[in-house]
Amino acid sequence: MARFLVLLWIVFSLPASAVAQQADAPIQTLLQEHGEIIAKSSRRTIGPAIDALAASGLSEAQTVLERWQAKEMWLNEETGLFVWAEEIDRSTIRIFDFADNGEIGEVPDDNFKQLKPNSGIRGMIAAALVQFQLRDPSPAARARALTAIERDAEDSHLGALRATKEDEANPDLKARMERLERLLTIQFGETDEERIAAIDHFAGDLGLDVRAALNPLVATRVEAAEATPEGEDIVQTLSPGSDALSREEAYEILVRGDLAKPRISRDDKREALIANISDGTVAGVQVASLDSEEARDLAYAALARDGVVDAVATEAEVDETLATFTFFERYTGAPPAVALAAATVLNGIEAKVAVNQTADLALDAVSLASIYFLAAIGLAITFGVMGVINMAHGEFIMMGAYTGFVVQQFVPDHTVSIIIAIPLAFLVTFAAGVLMERTVIRHLYHRPLETLLATFGISIALQQIAKNIFGTQARPLTAPSWLDGSLVFNDIVSISYIRIAIFVLALLFLALFLFVMNRTRLGLEVRAVTQNPRMAASMGINPDKINMLTFGFGSGIAGIAGVAIGLYAKVTSEMGADYIVQAFMTVVVGGVGNIWGTLLGASLVGTLQKYIEFLNPSNTLAAQTYMILFIILFIQFRPRGIIALKGRAAEA
Amino acid sequence: MSHKLLATSAAALLAGTVAASACDDPIKVGVLHSLSGTMAISETTLKDTMEMLVDIQNEKGGVLGCQLEAVVVDPASDWPLFAEKARELLTVHEVDVIFGNWTSVSRKSVLPVIEELNGLLFYPVQYEGEESSKNVFYTGAAPNQQAIPATDYFLEELEVEKFALLGTDYVYPRTTNNILESYLQQKGIPAEDIFVNYTPFGHSDWSKIVADVVALGADGKKVGVISTINGDANVGFYKELAAAGISADDIPVVAFSVGEEELAGLDTSNLVGHLAAWNYFQSAESDANEEWVASWKERMGEDRVTNDPMEAHYIGFNMWVNAAEAAGTTDVDAVRTAMYGQEFPNLTGGTAVMLPNHHLAKPVLIGEIQEDGQFDIISQTEEVPGDAWTDFLPESAVLMSDWQEKGCGMFNTETNTCVQIKSNY
Repeated sequence: MARFLVLLWIVFSLPASAVAQQADAPIQTLLQEHGEIIAKSSRRTIGPAIDALAASGLSEAQTVLERWQAKEMWLNEETGLFVWAEEIDRSTIRIFDFADNGEIGEVPDDNFKQLKPNSGIRGMIAAALVQFQLRDPSPAARARALTAIERDAEDSHLGALRATKEDEANPDLKARMERLERLLTIQFGETDEERIAAIDHFAGDLGLDVRAALNPLVATRVEAAEATPEGEDIVQTLSPGSDALSREEAYEILVRGDLAKPRISRDDKREALIANISDGTVAGVQVASLDSEEARDLAYAALARDGVVDAVATEAEVDETLATFTFFERYTGAPPAVALAAATVLNGIEAKVAVNQTADLALDAVSLASIYFLAAIGLAITFGVMGVINMAHGEFIMMGAYTGFVVQQFVPDHTVSIIIAIPLAFLVTFAAGVLMERTVIRHLYHRPLETLLATFGISIALQQIAKNIFGTQARPLTAPSWLDGSLVFNDIVSISYIRIAIFVLALLFLALFLFVMNRTRLGLEVRAVTQNPRMAASMGINPDKINMLTFGFGSGIAGIAGVAIGLYAKVTSEMGADYIVQAFMTVVVGGVGNIWGTLLGASLVGTLQKYIEFLNPSNTLAAQTYMILFIILFIQFRPRGIIALKGRAAEA
Repeated sequence: MSHKLLATSAAALLAGTVAASACDDPIKVGVLHSLSGTMAISETTLKDTMEMLVDIQNEKGGVLGCQLEAVVVDPASDWPLFAEKARELLTVHEVDVIFGNWTSVSRKSVLPVIEELNGLLFYPVQYEGEESSKNVFYTGAAPNQQAIPATDYFLEELEVEKFALLGTDYVYPRTTNNILESYLQQKGIPAEDIFVNYTPFGHSDWSKIVADVVALGADGKKVGVISTINGDANVGFYKELAAAGISADDIPVVAFSVGEEELAGLDTSNLVGHLAAWNYFQSAESDANEEWVASWKERMGEDRVTNDPMEAHYIGFNMWVNAAEAAGTTDVDAVRTAMYGQEFPNLTGGTAVMLPNHHLAKPVLIGEIQEDGQFDIISQTEEVPGDAWTDFLPESAVLMSDWQEKGCGMFNTETNTCVQIKSNY
């Protein structure tokens, strides 16, 4: 019986003991050799380990590198051996031997340390893996190799690319390979001719990678000599005191090259003189006579002759020395012929870059304008047509966004949920608008101050209610995946799809507004009521009902705008407050009561904002301040906005 | 009638407290965090943390045999109101210690009150340094415990050569970016390779700024973004990054104000690999942390996360408890003296030590954002002692803070004199 138990024990413990790790396999030995730096996991020291693996010629090296890159390599801290592992749960892992990819067993992870290479090391591993992956049968692996080269190109990649590019069957990958091959030729090509040929090929190319490859080639250094040397690598001569080379910089170059005596600042000179005052004199000169710069220079020179202080140049000497030298720029990034070719191509590219940057800025401006327009269009109805100053307009936007968030909690499909959310947001905010009109606004028509205060109070209350229901943290409103990413024209001009969607939505709303106002009975009645409520009433229109519906319509549109804004920015209880000022500005600048004015106002505000941001890229807050200043000025000259209503409507 | 009722109930209440413990009064712990307004988004969590810590301590028997009582006030994200509420806590409620504040501007507003009335404040958030008050213990990170190590990581591990410093326009990002600009230039990064931008709170239109950052790479240098963007502006920023298809391998972003809590409002699938630097991540593997996370989730709900300022309160509160026990009283001066050298295990597996400059020695962690909104810790340093006065600005390099030996928070080491005692600079 005891024998049987022993046998049973052996049988059951067999998997663990039989598949013991091969501690002396070549790959493990190699890893052990570099065990310390692998465990340390720092980009600065890891180089030798990755190089050794890549150059080892062992077939397991690729597995090791791939597992390591994927954070799947673990270190057994007891034995010091490396394994790869799958995590089963928080505290158990299934470990495998690198030597034969055999499973060793399931173990608790207490004695194992997961190696987590940072993205710097992962990049190096990826670069080392290129040699294995470039000929991998799977296109995805080959694409990964190309991405690795794009990020972290090495000398050796050029040969590898040239060797594989002809055999590449996938046309996309082949195109990428050819482009990469040229880029690498620019960097690592052996002869100037092939580098220049590769450079010329990129004439007019806007790619960021091209500029990144070319710019280091045209690096220059300013040097000085008695006479400008002849040579192709001299870019230009510079005169000290010009914009390109200030007098101070020029002299500094001479001092660094030991071609001139150092200078000293006035304050330091003064300190040195004061430090050497004895009996009212400095180096034999009366202190009282040191009342001019020249006198102080002379006294300092006397001190220098005595060896008390280091000799320095006076201003006059500086000018004299500068005059005896010429200054010139020399190419240092590449041989002159290559640098010249690069400079020519870059000049052509830069001109195109400027045009494209303007185009990109214009796209941004259009996008911002459409966001402002969307935020303002509801207000154009409630404020523009009805004349109600609704400070809670922003909160209707917020309500719409939260409606979208709530819908996404119940409908997980993002496309469907947005399709449901848009009409639902309209209904919710329409109802809220009607409720607010019935309970508050109705009693305050033609009393703008009271309306302003009352709606401001409502806006604060709505914000706090939202905080109580949804919490204070921003909530995600996720766009459908087909709206992810950007429409990319080139590396400079691109716009995200979500912004295009907002632009389209803004156009749709413009059309909807025009249709409702000009082509429907409701629109006719709204216009009648806003022009002359009493006359309209006597024609059988119920002004009360029309006011209610108009206010609801304006609020409903704000709700839909909220869904759109939530998709591109954020959903918080305060999001409405971020847009209320811009929305009012848009309506006021455009001209109250005219939708085309609102459109123009949004375009003006959006463009101006982007233009000021372009002029002052380091402070976006300042851009907004300047813009508001401009708009105040604008209102001084056109108090009724861009498109001013004329005739009876204006007096209504 | 009502008077009588009031009197009886008050008497009953009093009797109850006396019976419950041997104390005359429960020890009062002030909690000064905004529960409304813009900062409620972050500070409410800390209020909940403090209430949880007080409850846990009470279960263990309180402090000095007395029960603790949390006195919660709401300064409503209104900076001057912070000073009023701090005064109320100290004079009306007579609390023994205050845990509170988030933004630096609110802390600056509280300083004069707390120094005048000799209160004790534990401040749990990473901040810009350049300050040392006798009455404040800074349990969050100083710049050398967050910003500088993260920048080193960029320079050394990711070989970033060009920096975009993006921040919200207020005191913390501006001071931090000043320090970083000066530090980077000392490290040999030319001034033209440092791009700085400030945006207003809640900024949402990021497309141009992201395009500017991408364009920085045109000269072939590797670009990295150091973000001190605060609050919900981060949502729009990360959405625009994702839309522009910027991978963390091309342009890494390290954030100093984005933690687990902030990521909860984001779809993180496109942000995988971007970085954050903190002294604590929820994903830290230690028994203490697992217990902490479990009790937090049990109290607040499964979907709630823990974050770095919570750990700062956890360490600060426990150190205060131990210091009070060691001093045998909750008297401010006695507790302060007992605080120096206090050690308490932090949640990431090491030990936090309270230094004479009122800062902690804590490890610096760098984490990569994962799909589930948690951070994968890829770098963890040894404990770094917090430095009140940064070494990277010439005017503060000569200053040091030592309240234990020198009794001075702004001590000039060149002239060997104490510049000033109060922190009204």
